[in-house]
Amino acid sequence: MGDGRSKSGLETTLGIFMRVGLVSPYDFASPGGVNDHVRQLARRLTETGHEARIFAPSSRADVGFDKARFYRIGTPIAVPANDSVARITLSFHLANQVAAIVADERFDVLHFHEPLMPALPMTMLRMSTTANVGTFHAYARSNVGYYYGRPLLQPYLGHLHRAIAVSEPARAFVNRYFPDFPVRVIPNGIDLDVYNPDVTPIRHLRDDNLNILFVGRLEKRKGLGDLLRAYRAITTRIPHARLIIVGDGPLRGRAEAYIARHRLSNVLMAGYVPETVKPRYYTSADIFCAPATGAESFGIVLLEALASGLPVVATEVPGYMSVLESGKDSITVPPKNWRELAASLVILARDAELRRRLSDYALHKARRYSWDVVASEIVGVYQEARKALAAQPAVALEVSRVHNAV
Amino acid sequence: MWRYRLSRAITAVQYRGFKAVQSIVQHMPRPWAYALAVFAARFAWWFSPLARPRLEFNLKIACPELANDRNELRRISWLNFRNHAKAYADLMQLPLARVEAMRPRLKVDGWEYLEQARAHGRGVLVVSCHMGSYEVAAAIWSATLAPVSFFAEELEPRPLFEWYRDTRARLGISVLTLDYGGIRKVLDALRDQEMVITAIDRDITGTGYLMPFFGKLAPIPLGPAAIALRLGTPLFPVCVYRLPDDTYQVEVAPLIFAESTGNPRADQVKATQALLRRIEQFIQHHPEQWHVPHRIWAGSP
Repeated sequence: MGDGRSKSGLETTLGIFMRVGLVSPYDFASPGGVNDHVRQLARRLTETGHEARIFAPSSRADVGFDKARFYRIGTPIAVPANDSVARITLSFHLANQVAAIVADERFDVLHFHEPLMPALPMTMLRMSTTANVGTFHAYARSNVGYYYGRPLLQPYLGHLHRAIAVSEPARAFVNRYFPDFPVRVIPNGIDLDVYNPDVTPIRHLRDDNLNILFVGRLEKRKGLGDLLRAYRAITTRIPHARLIIVGDGPLRGRAEAYIARHRLSNVLMAGYVPETVKPRYYTSADIFCAPATGAESFGIVLLEALASGLPVVATEVPGYMSVLESGKDSITVPPKNWRELAASLVILARDAELRRRLSDYALHKARRYSWDVVASEIVGVYQEARKALAAQPAVALEVSRVHNAV
Repeated sequence: MWRYRLSRAITAVQYRGFKAVQSIVQHMPRPWAYALAVFAARFAWWFSPLARPRLEFNLKIACPELANDRNELRRISWLNFRNHAKAYADLMQLPLARVEAMRPRLKVDGWEYLEQARAHGRGVLVVSCHMGSYEVAAAIWSATLAPVSFFAEELEPRPLFEWYRDTRARLGISVLTLDYGGIRKVLDALRDQEMVITAIDRDITGTGYLMPFFGKLAPIPLGPAAIALRLGTPLFPVCVYRLPDDTYQVEVAPLIFAESTGNPRADQVKATQALLRRIEQFIQHHPEQWHVPHRIWAGSP
């Protein structure tokens, strides 16, 4: 038993000491909302006296996380999913490797992010004998896999002692296919020490221009195409506007071609930006724009923008609307409607007083999503899961199994 | 009018050429990018009408022993072009570079001086010369220590400057221009305890003060010393150079504090002269890395 296990029963900032294994199905070397969530949760659990380990596939050895607390399981491959590309491992030969680690670590809780995603979470969930918690991050209008795979997936859900969804749309999405399955909503968190209005901006971007910021993977569902059309329409009305695009992805080439073809001036394609630099782009901006076309379950970028005190122009997709309050912290428009997006950007660009009012409310609201609050709620769920495990009857030995073993 | 149009057309073609090459180089493995850079450096070294004569003129002043040794001068000047071309390859790869990958390539000697400078709580004014790949050090410092700004000239053509600025911004480096607005932002950055990097071995704005540089009068900018006097910021002489294995070495010298005696110009000159002595040592130790094919002294080609 390691040092950590000897601490069992100790009181920590967030309740009794626990060893927690966090399982992500996605390539941990690639940026993304689920991995950010896992990373932050692990950090927060460690800071408050618990022990956290992360299990995830990774395309690189260096993932910017303590190697002693990260288990690299499997090699990710890109799989099209939900208007995006999921980088997951599909190897089902992970069982032995995972079983040895889990047996050695003796976790109090295993926390599966996207527990029904093949192959890592499903493999680990099947063999887990500890308290299991699942968090559902995804939202989509429909899911063929869930629809046809229900009979196969239902037993996996039976292994979960407690389930969380990051937003009401994510919960509704799970319950559409598994109606009686209890899911509690706990939102994503934001680190207010990292994202706040006092972060130093990129100084040369704080000039006479009005900066409109987009942050996200450059893929169809993020709606960058609509934003580029809207920006093209507003450049004559707001000549000092500057569009800053942070993120990389498969549509980068098309976005750059569009900018060149229409000779859009004052567009900054920043590409992939290190996590330590990203907060500085938020404080360099005047307006944050999130033009997703759908399939967003939450939108951590919205929290980052709110915590940085930015007024938001966003589309009315269910995931975003679970975070935003139109008129208070944002202006919202129907998705895939670049004309309304352009009109909203013009309104906000021309009205400094409105920007200030939305910004004040955003700062006030972001406190609700602080990781301090969110992590303590998740730890509460861990404790409930452990109680549920303890209340389960012990598995009776079957005579045939004993006979075979002998 | 036609001359103006022609010059604009040439500039546009140059920029597009740069972008075309850059978009290929950024996807190349690093050794391939360097191989291409060395190939291009060979052409530039042979055929540049002004750059090589000017560089060799400057090297002969910085290292007088080279004036009597033509072969050694040719060798140093070729290595200089080679290192500079590799620095260009680094620059072209910057849009896709990751700080995590760069970190193991940087070695720092004299880290304690940097800590000492930061401990003063008045920002750090890093003063250097045109040598090596500063982006690498700046990107790593920006990600790990404090936000970094470059206080540098506005390049021509404008789109090239914007590309240069945006590429650095991605790594958290602000690029502040040598004008009134830029100086204001430099003061703000230092007041917020950030790092500002600038070079004093060339008088870009044409407002330099004539003082001995390698024993010969040259116009040298007094701006860094003036800022240090105004804010009490320590001046931190630093040079970054390339090692034979294509990693980078940061060499630093003890801090210089500009002291006020009531005569601002004399104080600025004194602090700048102290800085120049350090910069001269850096250049004399690594003449093959100091790439300034520009006019510094009178009599240059």
